[in-house]
Amino acid sequence: MLSLTLPIPLLKTLTPPSPNINNPSLSPYSHYQPRSRSLTRGLIVPKHSSATAPPSATLRDDGTSLAGDSPEPLPEELVAELMPKHVAVIIDGHGRWAKLRGLPASAGHQAGVQPLRTVVRLCCSWGIQVLTVFVLSTENWFRPKVEVDSLMKLFETTINSSIACMKKEGIQIYVIGDSSKLPESLRSTIANAEKSTKHNSRLQLIVAMNYGGKYDVVQACKSVAKKVKDGLLHLDNINEKIIEKELETKCTEFPYPDLLIRAGGELRLSNFLLWQLAYTEFYFNKTPWPDFGKEEFVDALRSFQQRQRHYGGERHS
Amino acid sequence: MILCFWFSFRLVQVGNLGLQLPWYFLQIIVSAWYFISVVGNLFESYFISLKKYKSLHSGKVRYLAIVIESEEAYQISKVVKLSQWLDSIGVKNVCLYDMNGVLKKSKETMFQKLKNAKSIEEVSEVVTLHAPDHMTLEFLSYLDGKEAVAKAANLIFVENSKRHNLGGELDLQILLEPQMNKALQIVGSKGPEPDLLLVYGPVRSHLGFPAWRLRYTEIIHMGSLNFMRYGSLMKVINNFTKVHQNYGT
Repeated sequence: MLSLTLPIPLLKTLTPPSPNINNPSLSPYSHYQPRSRSLTRGLIVPKHSSATAPPSATLRDDGTSLAGDSPEPLPEELVAELMPKHVAVIIDGHGRWAKLRGLPASAGHQAGVQPLRTVVRLCCSWGIQVLTVFVLSTENWFRPKVEVDSLMKLFETTINSSIACMKKEGIQIYVIGDSSKLPESLRSTIANAEKSTKHNSRLQLIVAMNYGGKYDVVQACKSVAKKVKDGLLHLDNINEKIIEKELETKCTEFPYPDLLIRAGGELRLSNFLLWQLAYTEFYFNKTPWPDFGKEEFVDALRSFQQRQRHYGGERHS
Repeated sequence: MILCFWFSFRLVQVGNLGLQLPWYFLQIIVSAWYFISVVGNLFESYFISLKKYKSLHSGKVRYLAIVIESEEAYQISKVVKLSQWLDSIGVKNVCLYDMNGVLKKSKETMFQKLKNAKSIEEVSEVVTLHAPDHMTLEFLSYLDGKEAVAKAANLIFVENSKRHNLGGELDLQILLEPQMNKALQIVGSKGPEPDLLLVYGPVRSHLGFPAWRLRYTEIIHMGSLNFMRYGSLMKVINNFTKVHQNYGT
């Protein structure tokens, strides 16, 4: 009762839940005149690379997706307009995470699946269009066979169990890297997942598996060489733009990440997207990937939005 | 009724005061913490300068790269000072990069001021990775990055097509990492992969530093060149010497 007689100044300090812009009658505070920024915060409609969004990406008027999960509202400190289009993530620290708990490395990898799902969900909700995840490098084959085998099994089961959800949520999956070394069953799982999700456009999830930045440049050059051999290209025309078009990230409209997040405390690129990361903002995080969550992801995005963007000498704030 | 209203109004005033006091207190704490950390940094920097790190294994940094944002790269005297600091720490092989080639154009001026320095062109690669008595400098710009890779690829294709014209089969397998390394050496990218890359400027990005050479390089953002400190440099190098790399294995 007392709150009814409180003067206005204190009321200003109470922030009401953001109203639902699709159905204002659902809002418990429909008598409020909300602050202008709150209007767009209650419901985040994802951006789409194509003009028409897939039905799975449309939102019900109660603010939930057709898949049944309600989209994450954008945190106050983030601005939708400054969201990166392409985020790349190096997931690392599984081994150390497992070791600290007296568990085998495979348990660390297993624990890394949930954080990935969280990040994918947040990207879908907040209008990030491309997420590239580095899950296996060309150097990881030198690890113990038991660990590599369990990783392969984990990739297979995770992709298989996620296909239906990805189709529903409008997520397109694309795997880059040298697939020739991967087990046959994993290759067919990947092919099936790519085929099943190829018309989705809410989020493009690029998984770098048995990938290396140098491998990518070499395979791009080989691809150019083949075009020269087939008479489709003249030697004099070879320049960086031609090579760029043959890189594995040609599968996306936005091949250059705006932001690179590396979990696990290391401060290097580890042969990931070497060519594509020329002007990418780096965000190194000490948290091992299995402990990486919404809070860490928001920190990375906030840091990205606060920094001044540069392309050479030209400023892009 | 009036009494009730007066009472609630007073309650609100007390409430507002109760909210404001912790807020001001919090601001004071944050300001004090910021001040203490700045002073702490200065002291640390000073003590480091007094050779706190006597057992610094600078030999672990066999090749160090510095990326300087092009606008800041015009401060040649600062870049010279930075090079002198590195020399005094024991880092003898340094690569200086800025996107627009400002440093490349100023290298003669720099060599005049750095009596102990030689250009990488004058030194064989074998010498570069051992501790020499002089400092070796390499100057790079954007042209030495992606464009150099395109040139190197072109060189391989030309060599290959010459062989093909002589009756051999056009071999796509000739294009492998070692061949690319060799071709890059020929087109002018002489230096090895840096162990450590320091970025000076407002960005946290390597601004197009030759990607081919960044596979396992440790990347550290140092802030603006205007605020560079000997202590910070020493600290970063000391931290790097303690890092263990497992190269993905």
